[in-house]
Amino acid sequence: MRPTCYAGEEGLSRLFEAASAGTVFAAVQGSRGPQYVNLHTEPDARFALREPRPSASPKAFLQPIKERVAVYATTGVDAERSSPASERRVVVGLRACDLKAIAYLDKVFQEGSVVDPFYAARRQADVLVSVDCMAAHETCFCTALGGRPFAEDGFDLNLTPLDGGYLVEVGSEKGAQVVEAAGDAVSPATDEQRGQRDERRDEWVRALEAQTGGWRVSDRIQEILLSKDEAQAWGDETAACVECAACTYICPTCHCFYLYDQVGGEEAFERIRTWDSCILGDYHRMAGPAGAKPSPRPGLRTRFANRMLHKYAYSPQQYGMLGCTGCGRCIEACYGGVDIRDVLRELET
Amino acid sequence: MTRSVEANPYAPQVACLSRVIDETPTIKTFCFDLADPLAFRAGQFVQLGVPGLGEGPFTPSSSPLDPEHLEVTVLRTGEVTERLHRMQAGDVCTLRGPYGKGYPVEKLEGKDVLVVGGGVGLAPLRALIHQLFAMTDRLGRVVIKNGARETAELLFRDAYEGWAARDRVSVEVTIDRPESGWTGPVGVVTTLLDHVGEDVDVANCYAFTCGPEIMLKFVAMKLLEKGFSAEQIYLSMNRRMSCGVGKCGRCNIGPHYLCKDGPDVCYATIKDYPNVFG
Repeated sequence: MRPTCYAGEEGLSRLFEAASAGTVFAAVQGSRGPQYVNLHTEPDARFALREPRPSASPKAFLQPIKERVAVYATTGVDAERSSPASERRVVVGLRACDLKAIAYLDKVFQEGSVVDPFYAARRQADVLVSVDCMAAHETCFCTALGGRPFAEDGFDLNLTPLDGGYLVEVGSEKGAQVVEAAGDAVSPATDEQRGQRDERRDEWVRALEAQTGGWRVSDRIQEILLSKDEAQAWGDETAACVECAACTYICPTCHCFYLYDQVGGEEAFERIRTWDSCILGDYHRMAGPAGAKPSPRPGLRTRFANRMLHKYAYSPQQYGMLGCTGCGRCIEACYGGVDIRDVLRELET
Repeated sequence: MTRSVEANPYAPQVACLSRVIDETPTIKTFCFDLADPLAFRAGQFVQLGVPGLGEGPFTPSSSPLDPEHLEVTVLRTGEVTERLHRMQAGDVCTLRGPYGKGYPVEKLEGKDVLVVGGGVGLAPLRALIHQLFAMTDRLGRVVIKNGARETAELLFRDAYEGWAARDRVSVEVTIDRPESGWTGPVGVVTTLLDHVGEDVDVANCYAFTCGPEIMLKFVAMKLLEKGFSAEQIYLSMNRRMSCGVGKCGRCNIGPHYLCKDGPDVCYATIKDYPNVFG
């Protein structure tokens, strides 16, 4: 693997150009905080790599809100238009928590007997560039779930903001090729720069620990959730929930989707995949006469419980990891003021 | 199907209906003569749909030993099934699958098998029954108990006599309410389980049941009461399903996705999780 190198602010832009990607999505400064934009359509945007994570999770890059997954007619399937098309994209500004979420999505969509070809094609083509957190939102709590504000794997390139530039760590062959192509945009990292990186990382772990008061979600959470008597519980939490599903849409690991068919031009039909949410009442509803609407989880309480159970109890069994990274986005997004940290603390008492 | 579409689990194949059989006033069987046979194990399901409208999960009712002639028996109960019921021979449906685990047929060697159906629930069980009939020499008794609201809703009624005429196979049928001309048992299907200990060797038997969820619940309770263990009871769990391959999230009971780990699941596997019975 190519050794760690250094890029100045100007060198950084050249580095991403070297990836010769059709699209570069980057975390940039927006009027309402850091956000992802396409640098090709907004070339004047200024990087937000020393700011906290963008409010939107990068999930939509890998699993779009809506996409066509098949085209067919009564004569058969249009194989070409039912296959994934992928161009190389670079996503800049992912955080350690985002990479953890992507590792989770990889398990959902790429492991097991069936691979999702659309996800896999994007995953294969995309270059993921993460950045160490040098600032956090009040809602960030990755350390409570065993995370740290910097990534050690899962990236193609990782950036550590230093004074006047960035340390660039190479995490994959794809990343190595980008650095190779960048030529003199990067220079070998010095020991001093490496030392500075380690110091800054330590500093930010301490800052986050101070913010969360050293809180750790205990391993008992799985057991606590599984033994909770649902019929009696979850009243307080669900009283605040307005069933908008924002928590699930903003969540970097939530991946539920729904397939629906529609007419797509003369004599042709399309199958569309769209995001869905386990919080919504219709999510589990089965076919049945109007009024009956059979559902295994008719009440919000059971759906709220199922979401918590999936994140902290079922996911470890299904995928060997939690379905929560502690990014805190659901807390920011919630209209009802539900704070998942409070829910977890409440469960543990 | 081309290779690239095979790799796309969401793309359906299209299949022309060769025949539609009126089974009951609310149930029809849709038959396909497939050039590209859809090989399935009893209990595995397919996603059958109406082009441009959508699809739903259905377990074939035909014999898994005859994959070229696929039959799917469907109750008219929602938007897609309403439209399916208006289709005729020659019309084109969408089809994907098979998905799920299927019944654990390999466990049945030397065992008695109890099959309990309710309403359209007998449809997937017929695939199992065909499978069992192909291996009766390796089984103990096969006891089939079926119920419906009324005689007009008794599914595959013409087949019962032929099934019962087989060696070591018995068929018992009940309807929910008395009806003129009906001399058989009256009451919900669980009443046929009162004497289950006389029909099968409870300690050496597996039970498979499919029907409305409320029925599955009472069948499970009754069998436990009669001495079955949760490990011996397989329930055909119905959940809304979309992808069919364990990715879209909606059909979970605990950490198990019914599309992948079911839809027929051992009661012992799911009984301690919430929302097993709605």
